[in-house]
Amino acid sequence: MIKQFFVILILSIVGYFLVDAFFKVPFGEKRNNVGNYYIEKSPVDLKVSNAVTAIVVNYRGFDTLGEVTVLFLAATGLGSIMYRRKQKGEKEARAKNPSSRIIQIGSQILFPMIILLGGYVFIHGHLSPGGGFQGGAIIATASLLMLISYRKFKINHNTITWIESIAGVVFASLGFVGLVLGRTFLENFLPSGELNDLLSGGIIGIIYIAVGFKVASELTGVIDTVLLNNRPEAQKEN
Amino acid sequence: MVISPVHYIALPLMAAFLIPLFGKLNKDLARIIPGLVLLYLSYISVVLMNQIISSNTIIVEIIAGWRPPWGINLVFSPFTGFLASMFSMLGFVIWMYTYNFKPEVDNAQKQKFYVLFMMLITGATGIVLTGDIFNLFVFLEITAISAYSLTAFYRERDGAEAAFKYLLIGSFSSTLILLAILLLYTQVGTLNMAEIALKMPAVDPYMKGVILILFFVGFGIEAEMFPLNGWSPDVYTQAPGPIGAIFAGMVVKAGIYGLIRVVFTLFDVKEILPLLVIIGMITMAVAEVIALRQGKLKRMLAYSSIGQMGLVVVAFGIGTHESVFAAIFLMFNHAIIKGMLFLSGTYLVYNSTEKTLDDVDGIGKYLPFTSFLFALGSLAIVGMPPFAGFWSKLYLLMAAADVRLMAVIAIILVVSVIEIVYYFRVIHRIYFRERTSTIELKIPSFNAKSAMLILAIIIVAVGVYPDLISGLIERATTDLLDKQSYIQSVLSVGLK
Repeated sequence: MIKQFFVILILSIVGYFLVDAFFKVPFGEKRNNVGNYYIEKSPVDLKVSNAVTAIVVNYRGFDTLGEVTVLFLAATGLGSIMYRRKQKGEKEARAKNPSSRIIQIGSQILFPMIILLGGYVFIHGHLSPGGGFQGGAIIATASLLMLISYRKFKINHNTITWIESIAGVVFASLGFVGLVLGRTFLENFLPSGELNDLLSGGIIGIIYIAVGFKVASELTGVIDTVLLNNRPEAQKEN
Repeated sequence: MVISPVHYIALPLMAAFLIPLFGKLNKDLARIIPGLVLLYLSYISVVLMNQIISSNTIIVEIIAGWRPPWGINLVFSPFTGFLASMFSMLGFVIWMYTYNFKPEVDNAQKQKFYVLFMMLITGATGIVLTGDIFNLFVFLEITAISAYSLTAFYRERDGAEAAFKYLLIGSFSSTLILLAILLLYTQVGTLNMAEIALKMPAVDPYMKGVILILFFVGFGIEAEMFPLNGWSPDVYTQAPGPIGAIFAGMVVKAGIYGLIRVVFTLFDVKEILPLLVIIGMITMAVAEVIALRQGKLKRMLAYSSIGQMGLVVVAFGIGTHESVFAAIFLMFNHAIIKGMLFLSGTYLVYNSTEKTLDDVDGIGKYLPFTSFLFALGSLAIVGMPPFAGFWSKLYLLMAAADVRLMAVIAIILVVSVIEIVYYFRVIHRIYFRERTSTIELKIPSFNAKSAMLILAIIIVAVGVYPDLISGLIERATTDLLDKQSYIQSVLSVGLK
């Protein structure tokens, strides 16, 4: 009883001040902060037209390395919690019944297009809206579509592990190359190129491609792990 | 490559990405790599600490070539460096302990365990080293995600429940901290902690209050403050033994660090300090009384850990140079002593499912080495001379006496008596009762024994000769309290 009282008391205090404070922040005004610097400098110094990408991958690239790790850990953690030994002669099927012909044909047409769109989004991360995280998520939806449509669609976990690890290692190694070349971790050591060119922004493009591969493989792995463990057969065994 | 603080984060990340690949080549590599990484980090800790102590400077490392406030920076000062070194070295010792712990676990699972284990340590180290408030949040997430998964690692019913509870409370804490950072950014327009501290006096006091409350509750959850600590006893009980040691030694310490950094550096409000003392005292008193009533060994250790954190917060809250010295000393002592209690306690109840105190009856005859170290740790944590715990408690009492806080002294002494009661009760059970339980005992492996022995040697060495460590802590105290030189060294880096 006392415990609940304390909880409600604390929550209401926090909630009240939170709402009140956020309403006090004026909306849409130009203010003096580091954001202005990024907007001014990223097309000039880095030759990157998407300022958000410049912030995410270069100015605050260290955070992105951290966020990629968070996703990696979430996938690893999920794998460890959902882990179970494979039994002999186990069927790899996920859905109970095969889905209808319409869905199967439709997903065959959509699958390559979704992959293409995902790739486009992360390759052009420094030019247009989007980037590694978004592109990776798009690609993962393509594999989700295939998993829903085909009972027998298999995802090779070995390949996923390889892609995931290599993409992560590429990101971290680029950081180390910056450090070894006598400057700082994750520093841009490639020429910036021309504004709006595909090959511009130095290491930003490479990092976002690595992030795209990593996010795509991790989310695919997560979807597959969750679906495998929800098989009707698996539930019957328990 | 020059040794620099970014290695603390970049190397373990690189290793974590590589472990799944190396695990395919050789199943033992996945276990060995984290040890090598932590050993290397312990080595650079010694080098870097020597460097900053002898040259009397602090190392500010900029990342991605953008100097503060535009880029992220790491600050390796006597205070942050001390904590980071402690985490790496303690991490290495705990790695030794885990090496042959539970050999029956599948290799695929072991590999995941070591990835999460290493990232838990890296997250805590990152929280301490970073000079950027949002970067701190990212590392908090890394720590939290690994901690949730490790709590449920054994995949039992209770473990899942504890992990889920922790996940809910932890996400709540992260959300509050993120909202606080957001509000802070709307007010000062920067995320660099030194520049925030510089611009803080100009911020509207109302906003300041709200931001402080959000940070306080957010970090209070991570630092096990009353009444926000509902997650921790379950988590300590259900997580694998060595992970309990990491929680007590690092994760909670990182939470306390966040709280202290916000109160001491970011904000210039001295009015909050008495609140720290009061909350700390309540936490301490409540936790120790509950600990007295616990029938399970690890739950008892968990509540004792909460109580000790209360003591640390009281010490920081008094706010004088002497008391902050005592607080950092307490953090160090608690990390090694509670670490050792968790490591040895885990073997005392290794095969027991309920892990109750009845299981340790008369165990002193069968596991003499582990029991002896557990008894030694118990004596040290309640503050008996000649062990490390004695000095920190003595310094804290002296610091409290200096500012005439008699109520604080009284509560600390009463609580110490309670601590003595429940720790001595366990020692009594270990040595003076007949063994009744029929559960098979597990003899610790050689690695586990050496890990516990190393910690025991440090406890005794610091207890007999506190000057081993007090010089470093003195420097750390000066560094933490000297806000101006922190701001100046961070903001002047890279200016030519």
